Amino acid sequence: MTTKAAPSAWRDPVALLAAPAVIYLLVVYAFPLLWLFMKSLTGPAGPTIQPYISFLSDPFNWRVVGNTLRVAAWVTVVCFLIGYPAAFALARAGAVLQIVMLVSIILPLSVGAVVKAFAWQIVLRRDGIVSQTLVGLGLWDEPQRLLFTETGLVLGAANIFLPFMILPIYSVVKLIDPRLSEAGATLGATPLYRFTHVTLPLTLPGIVSGVAFVFSMSVSMFVIPSLLIGDRFQTLSTLTGRSFLLMRNEQLGSTTAVILLVLAVSIVVGSTWLARRIGGRST
Amino acid sequence: MTSDSFLDVAGAEKAFGGITVLGGVDLKVAAGEFISLLGPSGCGKTTLLRIVAGLLAADRGAIRLDGEEIGAKPPHRRDVGVVFQNYALFPHLSVSENIAFGLKARRHPAAEIAPTVQRFLELVHLTDFADRSVRALSGGQQQRVAVARALAVQPKLLLLDEPFSALDRKLRENMQIELRRLLRELGITAVFVTHDQDEALTMSDRIAVMNKGAIEQLAVPSTIYRSPATAFVLEFVGLSSRLSGTVVGQDYDQVVVDTAFGPLRAPGSFVPGASVVLAVRPERIKVNAPGDYALVGRLRDAVFQGSKIQLHFETQGSDQLMVETADLSDGLPPPGTEMRLGWAVADTLIYPAP
Repeated sequence: MTTKAAPSAWRDPVALLAAPAVIYLLVVYAFPLLWLFMKSLTGPAGPTIQPYISFLSDPFNWRVVGNTLRVAAWVTVVCFLIGYPAAFALARAGAVLQIVMLVSIILPLSVGAVVKAFAWQIVLRRDGIVSQTLVGLGLWDEPQRLLFTETGLVLGAANIFLPFMILPIYSVVKLIDPRLSEAGATLGATPLYRFTHVTLPLTLPGIVSGVAFVFSMSVSMFVIPSLLIGDRFQTLSTLTGRSFLLMRNEQLGSTTAVILLVLAVSIVVGSTWLARRIGGRST
Repeated sequence: MTSDSFLDVAGAEKAFGGITVLGGVDLKVAAGEFISLLGPSGCGKTTLLRIVAGLLAADRGAIRLDGEEIGAKPPHRRDVGVVFQNYALFPHLSVSENIAFGLKARRHPAAEIAPTVQRFLELVHLTDFADRSVRALSGGQQQRVAVARALAVQPKLLLLDEPFSALDRKLRENMQIELRRLLRELGITAVFVTHDQDEALTMSDRIAVMNKGAIEQLAVPSTIYRSPATAFVLEFVGLSSRLSGTVVGQDYDQVVVDTAFGPLRAPGSFVPGASVVLAVRPERIKVNAPGDYALVGRLRDAVFQGSKIQLHFETQGSDQLMVETADLSDGLPPPGTEMRLGWAVADTLIYPAP
């Protein structure tokens, strides 16, 4: 509900503040993307949609799409299950503890994904700490290798992307008045009812951004699967990378890149829209 | 097991990190009664309220409500409604959804919820705002939603934590009268926390004046105002003239006290030599009345307050001498004017010096 008509974006000088960002994104992002898109639609004899048809008619490629979405979904789920309670702990912690927690969440972001992926290679080895711990606890009969398995990939990727789930949820939780849950209690609502009818809808905007961040990052990750699972397991990103770098097939590369982009964007936008609908007026 | 009181708090104690916030408070509230917990911030009044609501566990003590021990019950099974200081309305729900929240949480049938919500919307005059977001409401409207939401589930007891503190004065006075009327109509037992003495005097059946985690006096508003039990109650509720002195003699049921303004009389009995404080409510003091008077004061300041005039007189030390009188016909007297001040001995209050 607006009480007065918003001034036209063109006449509003505030809109000019976005100009540097718009110009930057046009030059380094939109134009190359457009070039990529055009490349995928241009054959030796003019415009064609042949690359898409041949890509989609190959069962191997469907497996690649499946791998991509499955891994991204698992990474998102793991990040959410760990990150949601962590965000509450962070938001409700005392001042000093909160700073310590924030530093330990944000500082690792300065360590690149490559370094972390190499570290995970050590952790996930047959004689790595995960395997040894599980054997030590008696959960595994003998040491197993998690490196170069899908489980290992999901574990490693979830660790690397976890801050991007925690931080947006934390920023929303921080703004929620703890009295709301108390008010719910005095009205006769059980802890579960309070969670599903007060806390969850109010944190939904944070969940939506966290899920969007983590999903779009894990659907397009390239270095992490290359190091943690290797060539036998292809995702749309690694396939795009191989097409450009190894096979020198720019057409295939740009085709897979466009398919990845369309899939990722439509899933993120679609799930956001769905969440907003379910959450009603929560944002 | 029956009990005379509807709410019975016995020996409630609470300490935070070694600091006692509540030191064994007893409070009995009759059914349908409106009780105020009045005191300065940090006196433990909100702590007591949260303990009754079940939002805080007492270290020791028992709470009975309607003959049932509720001390060990979680808040959602106590049937105690709370209106929070900041209202704590659910920002993602509309006005009517906020009011319906408790009914839905208690799994009332939908056919019953709609008419109940409608009825409470009417009671707080918000029918036209049913579908608005609560964030689009003014402070006074939000407060009414909070009251309607708490009452819609028909709790046995309603607790109010300074619900008027965020409202401006005019609105606050209207809301006080409105809320009192509503609670009386519904026959709700209520405990009301406030630091505002006017609010407590206006609204309460009885007032519990709290200080340092204990109840200093629990009485009807007129008793609290006319005969404060302790010097703290005197100072916290209403204005007063206060003169310190020493008891010099006992004369039947009166004592004679030597003050900076000469000997003054007060009802009571104290050992001679005791340090005491004499107090008189400012509107009980007569200015330049014919006949006897107690002392002559030198005016320091006269303050015009519309319906009345406040006269402040020169005193020494911690003494304070003030008079409230109706508008004087010949305007405000200039500072330095000497005036004869008199009051009835029966209106004099006496307390041991702190």
